[in-house]
Amino acid sequence: MRKEIKITSIVVLVLVFSLLLSGSVLAQEEDRYGGTLNAALQMSVAHLDSDNSTDSMITAMMNHVYEGLFEFDENLNLVPHLAESYQVGEDGLVYEVKLRENVMMHNGQTMDADDVVASFRRWLELNNGGQLVAPYFDQVEKIDQFNVRFTFEEAYAPFLNILASPVSNQKFVVRAEEVVEEFGSDVIDRHVGTGPYKYEEWVPDQKLTLTRFEDYTPSSREGSFFAGERIPYLDKIVFNFIPDAQVRVSGVQTGQFHFAEEVPRDQYQIFEMDQNIKNEIIYPDRMSMLIFNNAEPPFDNKYARRAIAYALDFEELGYAMIGDQQFWRLEPALHEDGNPWHVPDAGEGIYGVYDPEKAKELLDRAGYDGQPLVILSGQDNQMERQGAIAIQDQLEKIGIEVELQLFDRPTVVERRSREEGWHMHLSPFIKVVPDPQIHEGWTGTNKWISNWDSEDSRQMDQIFAEMLKEVDQEKRYEIVERMQAELWDSVPYFNILDYSRLHIRRTELKNFQAGWQPFFWNTYLE
Amino acid sequence: MLFLKRYKKYEHPYITASIIILIFLVFLSLFAPVLTDYSPVRNNARNRLQPPSREHLLGTDQFGRDIFTRILYGIRTSMQVGLAVVLLTVIFGGVVGVAAGYYSQIDRVVMRILDAMMAFPGIIIAISLAAIWGAGKLNIILALSFAYFPKMARIVRSSVISIKDLDYVDSARAAGAKDSRIIVKYILKNSASPIMVQATFNFALAILDEAALSFLGVGIMPPAPSLGAMVTDARTYMVVAPWMILAPGIMIVLAVLSLNLLGDGLRDLLDPHLKNTFQK
Repeated sequence: MRKEIKITSIVVLVLVFSLLLSGSVLAQEEDRYGGTLNAALQMSVAHLDSDNSTDSMITAMMNHVYEGLFEFDENLNLVPHLAESYQVGEDGLVYEVKLRENVMMHNGQTMDADDVVASFRRWLELNNGGQLVAPYFDQVEKIDQFNVRFTFEEAYAPFLNILASPVSNQKFVVRAEEVVEEFGSDVIDRHVGTGPYKYEEWVPDQKLTLTRFEDYTPSSREGSFFAGERIPYLDKIVFNFIPDAQVRVSGVQTGQFHFAEEVPRDQYQIFEMDQNIKNEIIYPDRMSMLIFNNAEPPFDNKYARRAIAYALDFEELGYAMIGDQQFWRLEPALHEDGNPWHVPDAGEGIYGVYDPEKAKELLDRAGYDGQPLVILSGQDNQMERQGAIAIQDQLEKIGIEVELQLFDRPTVVERRSREEGWHMHLSPFIKVVPDPQIHEGWTGTNKWISNWDSEDSRQMDQIFAEMLKEVDQEKRYEIVERMQAELWDSVPYFNILDYSRLHIRRTELKNFQAGWQPFFWNTYLE
Repeated sequence: MLFLKRYKKYEHPYITASIIILIFLVFLSLFAPVLTDYSPVRNNARNRLQPPSREHLLGTDQFGRDIFTRILYGIRTSMQVGLAVVLLTVIFGGVVGVAAGYYSQIDRVVMRILDAMMAFPGIIIAISLAAIWGAGKLNIILALSFAYFPKMARIVRSSVISIKDLDYVDSARAAGAKDSRIIVKYILKNSASPIMVQATFNFALAILDEAALSFLGVGIMPPAPSLGAMVTDARTYMVVAPWMILAPGIMIVLAVLSLNLLGDGLRDLLDPHLKNTFQK
């Protein structure tokens, strides 16, 4: 009898404890809900229709409202998001995508193949990413309510990566069919997506307000960056547009904002000392590119271009251009360490080899006549302005005459598009590139502003054409290795180093992950 | 040498103070290469943002350049710009002012054009011209001279008008003197004091406006040192490296203050209406 009582009391105790425990876990989970998040972003946008613009800020904010069929996780792995699964035909021409069922949209309907097909057609026609795909694409069709088939005329290996591209606004997102029909190719200003937050209000040049979508249907996969489960803990997210960096900083210091984008890196120590502020360094983020005008002497000769790589002390440039060492890394490859396309031995023997004597020798070999070299650069961005000044200094130290031309952004864009009047130009590139094919946009015969037209450039075109057709990952990686080798041999442009932006947030904002674009699902306020 | 005589008589404190500061600044800018071993433009980025020390008296900037050196050369730039602008405004303003004041036929036309130019604040004209022509020392000098010369022309003109009908000018004319002789020998010589005062103020204004234009990014082209551009650059580092903004800021204040004091003092000395206020 006594034994029974003992056992029962133990059982009861265990039960009570477990109830209490589960209760407190539940309560903790409940506590996370609520609150309005105020974020300070650097630049305002013209509108919120990502297909109609290349301004990546649109996608950064509207990622909360719209979702893609596929999204990238922390390690740049492609994960089905609104898609359940997919199959690629053997010849690489047909992609069959199965959609997740019962995904609610902001208009109260469930998302189905019609929404995907309508959104895709618009993306293909208007979006910069869609236009990359379009020449090879045949048609998109609905198989049944939750199955869609994409057919190509020619194999196009990077298709899925471009669908989820983090570059510019290339990502394909699913909008409600009714909205696509209503607006056609016009700029959309009624936003119906599947995301964890709904569009509430937009005051141009001032703020964008989003509210929680109560019927949101999260993915069942584990949350990681843009992929997997997204939980909308916050009631509201307000994006404020604050162009002045110091105003963003003091807003976070006083508690007006919970998050500020791109703040001066040299104030890192001050934020570090502030107990209410956490630094967020973005990795891999950006690279600084030195682009040559390949049409004008001396840089119509590849030996002159190689000479500049030998003439520059990259490490010294890192300090002058960016500053504190934790914000920059020497990296010869176009893809960062950890990216599946990273080529570790790219640029061996030339990247980061500081050898002014060799530089002079190569310049002589290229027949350089001592004319002043013009560096064209922007003056509003720290990397561009300070980088140009530092490069001028280094070249002048070894006796090369340099003329510095610093202008505002529109003037720089106009001047660099000309075939003459400049020799070198510094530009920041986004480092998070999920597919090597994307480099084709600015690498090859007369691509972007390089004015590169020679045997080498045509060889590069050939490499990209092969890369496009190769579906096998390993063989494709070998092509990427060849591309990197060719790039460091003929050097139409080169990446000096990778660098990071610094964001700051209040410590009461929890569970924040520093992605290439800031996002606030899964974050909560304490 | 009216000026020296009066200065001896009154020992104007403003003038004494300003001349001491000015001599100091001119000394710094003239002997810049002797006073420092560093180059104003060569980088040493591994040594960036160093606080003041024995090697770097005023610390280093974001490129690791010695701030003391950059200030010396920055003052040099300011002085060059100021001097050149004053020379150009005196020449242009003088010619236009004399022509308008002496030859009443063209007076109306010329003065209305100058009035129209003076309707805009000088710095606005200078910014627009610098933006159109592009940054650079020469362009800044031309833009500022263009912005300042109408006022100089006006001052010269009024002084020419008040002198040209005086008895001694009439008698010179009656004696058969040519226009050029009358203008140079009788009129300009006697209108020297307002021109001098205005020129001093222009000098100060030119230094300040050069700093302002460089601050806005349309002035002296980097990496050439300019006090205004140094202040702009320092803004970002104000919290972590306050020495970057203090030194060039103080130098601008000193230069402008001393020139303004000098101008005020000169006016007190040379203006006949204020003659008696400073008697001991």
